[in-house]
Amino acid sequence: MKIKVCGLRVRENIVHVDQLEVDYIGLIFHEESPRFFSDQQLPDTMAKKIGVFVDKDFELIMNTIKEYQLKAVQLHGKESPELCRKLLKSDLEVIKAFAVDDDFEPSVLSDYSDSCSYFLFDTKTHKHGGSGKKFNWDILQSLDYSLPFFLSGGIGPEDANAIRSLRLNNLIGIDLNSRFEDAPAIKNFDKLSAFIKEIKPMKYKINEEGYYGSYGGAFIPELLYQNIQELKENYLKIMESDSFQDEFIRLLKEYVGRPSPLYFSKALSEKYGAQIFLKREDLNHTGSHKINNTIGQILLAKSLGKKRIIAETGAGQHGVATATVCAREGLECVVFMGALDVERQQPNVQKMQMLGAKVVPVESGNKTLKDATNEAIRDWINHPEETYYLIGSVVGPHPYPDMVSRFQSVISEEIKNQLKQQTGNVNSDKIIACVGGGSNAIGAYYHFLDDENVKLIAVEADGLGLETGETAATTAAGSPGIIHGSKTILMQTDDGQIVEPYSISAGLDYPGIGPVHAHLFETGRVEFIRATDDEALKAAFELTALEGIIPALETAHALAALPKLEFKEDELVVINISGRGDKDMATYQKYIESLKHPYQPPKMLTQAEHEDVNGLFIP
Amino acid sequence: MKRLNQLFQKNEKILSIYFTAGYPHLNSSKEIIIELEKNGVDLIEIGIPYSDPLADGPIIQKSSQIALENGMSLEFLLHELKDIRAEVDIPLVLMGYFNSVMQFGIEQLFKRMNEIGLDGIILPDMLIEVYEKEFCELFEEYDIKSIFLITPSTPEDRIRRIDKMSKSFIYMVSSASTTGVRETYDDNSLAYFKRIKSMNLKAPILTGFGISSKQHFDQVCEYSDGGIIGSAFIKSFKKEVPIQQSISSFVSSVKK
Repeated sequence: MKIKVCGLRVRENIVHVDQLEVDYIGLIFHEESPRFFSDQQLPDTMAKKIGVFVDKDFELIMNTIKEYQLKAVQLHGKESPELCRKLLKSDLEVIKAFAVDDDFEPSVLSDYSDSCSYFLFDTKTHKHGGSGKKFNWDILQSLDYSLPFFLSGGIGPEDANAIRSLRLNNLIGIDLNSRFEDAPAIKNFDKLSAFIKEIKPMKYKINEEGYYGSYGGAFIPELLYQNIQELKENYLKIMESDSFQDEFIRLLKEYVGRPSPLYFSKALSEKYGAQIFLKREDLNHTGSHKINNTIGQILLAKSLGKKRIIAETGAGQHGVATATVCAREGLECVVFMGALDVERQQPNVQKMQMLGAKVVPVESGNKTLKDATNEAIRDWINHPEETYYLIGSVVGPHPYPDMVSRFQSVISEEIKNQLKQQTGNVNSDKIIACVGGGSNAIGAYYHFLDDENVKLIAVEADGLGLETGETAATTAAGSPGIIHGSKTILMQTDDGQIVEPYSISAGLDYPGIGPVHAHLFETGRVEFIRATDDEALKAAFELTALEGIIPALETAHALAALPKLEFKEDELVVINISGRGDKDMATYQKYIESLKHPYQPPKMLTQAEHEDVNGLFIP
Repeated sequence: MKRLNQLFQKNEKILSIYFTAGYPHLNSSKEIIIELEKNGVDLIEIGIPYSDPLADGPIIQKSSQIALENGMSLEFLLHELKDIRAEVDIPLVLMGYFNSVMQFGIEQLFKRMNEIGLDGIILPDMLIEVYEKEFCELFEEYDIKSIFLITPSTPEDRIRRIDKMSKSFIYMVSSASTTGVRETYDDNSLAYFKRIKSMNLKAPILTGFGISSKQHFDQVCEYSDGGIIGSAFIKSFKKEVPIQQSISSFVSSVKK
C-alpha cells in the first residue's frame, strides 16, 4: 500500500513527514487551494515529490517540475488524455484524478487507460477536492479498472480497517490530507505515524525491535552491546540525511557505474519460453552487487568516526568490495577469509592485497565463510572502539540485516524503473536470485515484497544433493536457531552444533540465511528451490555459450532455476546476475577438463542382471 | 538454590574455575569437579562446548572442538552429572551459548538442572533485553540464577540495571577481549576495576577473562569479590600428568 501525503508547505513539516517513509509528498500548485505551494525552499526527501495541478498547460507544468524537481504529477482538472500522455513521455509518473459521486460515469476512465500511470478517485466537490469528506466507496467495487488507483477524499485516522477490508486488487495506495492536520498544510506527525503503522503492516519489513516475524534480533555477547547500540541509534539517521544520500547516490553512479543494465536475453527467452531479463550486477565496479553495500557502509563508518574496517568474505567478492572502498577512503582494512577459500579464490586474494587490505586466513572449523565470520566478530570484540565491522550480507545482529537490505534495495528500485521503460510494466512476474546469506536476493526483491503478484524465487546451493548431506541448502536442511548474532534458520545438529555446509560456490557455502529470508521462507512469500553443483556448472556454461556472459558460480545457481520452473510465453522474468565469473575460472577450467575425460563409474549390475548372472552360473 | 548465596556470605575472596565439559576426555567432567572442590576452589563453571563460540579465544575454542569430537553434548553432560550432588556441595553453574540451550529446550534444561542440583547459568550471548522479555519468569520459576556480564564499555545506567536484575553475582569481563591468557592488566583495566568498585553494586562481582596467574588473581581480588580462571586452567592439562595431580598443582599455584 503506497502512502501519499498531500498538501504540505512548510519545510520542517516536510522533513518530518518524510521520516515516516511515505511514498509521495504532494505539493499543490493550484492557487485557490488553502494549501497552495509557492516560493518555498524544498528539502530533499526520500519520498517522491508530486505536484498537484488543475487545468495547467504543459509548459507551466514542466517548468514547475524542473524548478522543484518533481518526479510525478497529479492532474485534478479537465486535462486531456493527450496532455497526460505527453507528461508520461517526459519521464514522469502521471496520476489522473477523478471526482466521484453517486452519478460517476466510469466510461470516462477508458480514455485515460494508456496515458497515465495511476488513477486517483476523490470526492466530488465544486473546488477540486479538499473537502475532507468521503465518497461512497461501494462504487469502487463495481468499477472496471484498467490501471491501479489511489483512494482519496476525507480519509481519516479511524479509516485504516475500512480501507484494509476493501480488498480491491487495483487499490495501490491512499492519499492523506486534511484529516491529519493541525492547521491547513501542517500535518500532524503522530496521527500520520499511527495510521501508517496500522495500514502498512510491514509484513516483510523489520519491526521496531529488530525482528522479521520471529527471526532477527540481537544475540550477541555483552561485549558487543555498545557497538550494536551505536549502530542501531545512528544508522537510519545517517542513511537518511541529505549529505549521505547525495554522496551515496553520486558514488553509485560515478564510481560503481549504476544503474546496472537490465538486459533482455533473447536466447534464454527463446529457450525457456518466457521474457527473460538479466539484471547485470556483474557489470558493477569490482564485479558484483557487493559494492552497493560496501559503499553505503563505508560512508556510515566514516560518519561514526571509525578508523579501522574489518570484514569477512567467502568467495572474496565482499572482501574485494570492502578493500576497494577502504582504499578509496584511506582506511585500514582487515579481511577474514577461510583458509580453504583463500586457496580456491586466489585471484580475489591477490586483488585484496593489491588494494592494501590484510587478508587473514582463518584456520578454525571448516575454514570457510562461517569461520571467517566468527573470526571477524572475535576481532571486533577485541577492538570495539576504533573498529567498524562491515558485514557483507543480510546476516548478523540487528541492525545489520536491515541496513544491508536497504543498501542493496537499489537493485529492485532500478529493476522497477527499467522494466517500466523497457516493457511498460512496473512489475515482473518472477524474480530469481541465489541465496547464501541473501543480500543480492533481498536487493532484487525489496521493492516487490509488498506486490504479492510478483513471484519471488530463491535458489539455494545444494552441493552434491540434499540426500548426501553435502549441501548448503539451509531452508531444506536447517531449523530455527542462532547464528552470528541473529535468530534465523540454520543447519545444525540436534544438540545445536552448527553443521559445516558444502557447496562448490564459496559465496553460498554458508550454514545460515539472513533472518529476513527465514521470515520470507516461513510466510511463503518467497519460494525456495535448490540447485546442485552440477546444475549450476551447466547453467554457467549455458549462459556463457548463449549470451557471452560468464557468470559467477553463485549466480550460476540462480540461472540453474530456469530448467526447473514453468513459464508462460509472455511472462516477465528477471534473474539477478549478482556477479561475474572471473574469480571462478579455475573451477570452470576443471569442469571443462572433467568433460573431456569423463569419469567412468565401474559398471554395476542391476538386481535383475544379478539374478540373470546367478541364474547362468549356478544351476 | 542457596549454595550460590551462601558462597558470597563467606568473607573471603572467591576462586572460580571454568572448564570445558568433555575435555580432555569425554568422561572427565565428574573427576574435574570433585578434584576442584577437594583443592579448595569455591565455584565451578561447567562449559557446554559449542561449535561456534564467538566470545572465546583460541584455547576454549580448541578445547570445545576436541570435546565435541570426543562426543560431548548437553544431554550427555546432564546424564554424566546426574548424581554429582552425592559427591560435592560446591556451587555449580553452566556456561554456554544460547543456541545450545534453545535447541535443548530452556524449560527442559531447567527441570534437569533442578533434578541434578545445578545452581545457575551464564549465557554470554543472551542480552538482558532478551532475558527480560522472554525468559525472566522461567528462570524465577525454576530458581535458576542467570549470571550477566558487564564489560569496560557497558554504560553506568546499564550496569545499575544489570545489578538490579542479578540474583547472584555479576561476571565482570576484565577487558575488551575474547577469553584467553594475558600477560598483564593495563592502566585502562585497572581504572575500570576501580570505577566498578566505586559504584558499590549490590551484587558480588567476580572478574574473569585473562586471569592466568596468582599475581592476576590477587590483583582482581583487590577490586572485586574474586576471580574466574578458564583458559589458563584448561591449558594446564598435560597428556602425561593425571588430572588429579594437574588440578592440585594448578589450584595451589593460584591460591596458596
